[in-house]
Amino acid sequence: MTGIIECLVDAMSIPGTVSAILIDPTGATPVAAEGALNAEQSAIGLSEAFRAAMEGVAQASAGDPIRIEDMIIKSSAGMHIIHPLETMFGGPYLLCLRLDADRANLALAWRRLQSLSNRLIDV
Amino acid sequence: MAATASSAASNPVSGAASGQASHASATLDSILLDLAGDRATGSLRVGKHGTVYLDEGRISYVECATTPSVEEILTASGRATVTRIRAIRQSASSAAPANGSAGGPANAAPAGAALPNGGELLVRQGVLSRGELQFCVLGATLDAAYFLLPERPGRPRFKAGDRHWLGTHWFFDIPGLLLDCQKRKARLDRVWPSAEVDICPVTPVKRLQRGGHVVLSALQWEVLAEADGATPPIALAHRIRRPVYATLLAVRELAASGLVTGAQQPAKSELPRRTGGSGPRPGAGGGPGHHAPAMPQVSGDPADIQLLIRLRDALEALR
Repeated sequence: MTGIIECLVDAMSIPGTVSAILIDPTGATPVAAEGALNAEQSAIGLSEAFRAAMEGVAQASAGDPIRIEDMIIKSSAGMHIIHPLETMFGGPYLLCLRLDADRANLALAWRRLQSLSNRLIDV
Repeated sequence: MAATASSAASNPVSGAASGQASHASATLDSILLDLAGDRATGSLRVGKHGTVYLDEGRISYVECATTPSVEEILTASGRATVTRIRAIRQSASSAAPANGSAGGPANAAPAGAALPNGGELLVRQGVLSRGELQFCVLGATLDAAYFLLPERPGRPRFKAGDRHWLGTHWFFDIPGLLLDCQKRKARLDRVWPSAEVDICPVTPVKRLQRGGHVVLSALQWEVLAEADGATPPIALAHRIRRPVYATLLAVRELAASGLVTGAQQPAKSELPRRTGGSGPRPGAGGGPGHHAPAMPQVSGDPADIQLLIRLRDALEALR
């Protein structure tokens, strides 16, 4: 039984994690953040990235209903995992991890993030 | 005025003059920021529009007549029956006086620990997980705040020490929540500048103007599937059990793509306004004295307006 804050604190213990943010993309608002230097700006940018990906991928797979389960971005500075969380009302909220390229193991971080998000939503 | 009497009493710093005299005409924003400064705990009733609950100067929950409450979300989703919610609410309320009347924080702590609040009871009884409870409060509050906070209350009443039966499960810092409301408002206007579609019955067009195909979000699909040409967006949102703001946004997106009628297209004066820096560049489209328009003439045709909106979005994205 974890809450949002505990989930983000746990996410920070994933090796190589630089920051963990929960975002409401509807208002591009950071709901809670750990380790983020500028959560407000990150929330705007990541919400926009998710929306663009959603629209772009939908255009590219016409005819098939699609749902983004995870969005993984590898940049020169590191990696981002954006994981949408469907909830009973509102959302999807975005659970976002920023990973250090040298210290993080993407596969491990991704698996850990999945189990964290499941624990957050399950009864 | 009764509004700030108790918070002023508990905290002499919030001077009677500054708080009370301005209340009748003050905006809700400034009243809330004052209460945040006083680290107030209690409820601020905004006429019959709704109530803002505060916990030590931060918002813990907002209720608004326009948007569904946590109780409604739980019953509509089938997580709990009305009877069960009422029973939990009653056992939580019977615990509340011990919390509320204790006054001093030193006395309140042990009493609060012994008697769980309504939200805690919901979690313990397995109605929903702690995370789900937080998301529920979060979703309901963000939706309610968007509609309640811009209200101009005649005479809001602050009741110090009053708590919602759910208890406090999430904190919203007041400037952050006000900013969220502003960003949401700006996003609606960016998508489709006329607020007319917010109140007109949602009516899908019978035929696409240009054939081809469309891509819909899940919420847009739900709106179209439920639209009957008689139900306005707010009622539709309740019916599909989605947040009201998100539904308004979906309807404006559908209007921008020309998929719903019911709204007349915005008059020319309501076309997206130029923001600083997005006007025609000096020298572009001919020199001085060159009177030909730099852009094609615009008719009232929705296709033109959509083209302009897309064009503007694309230009803004380039900046």
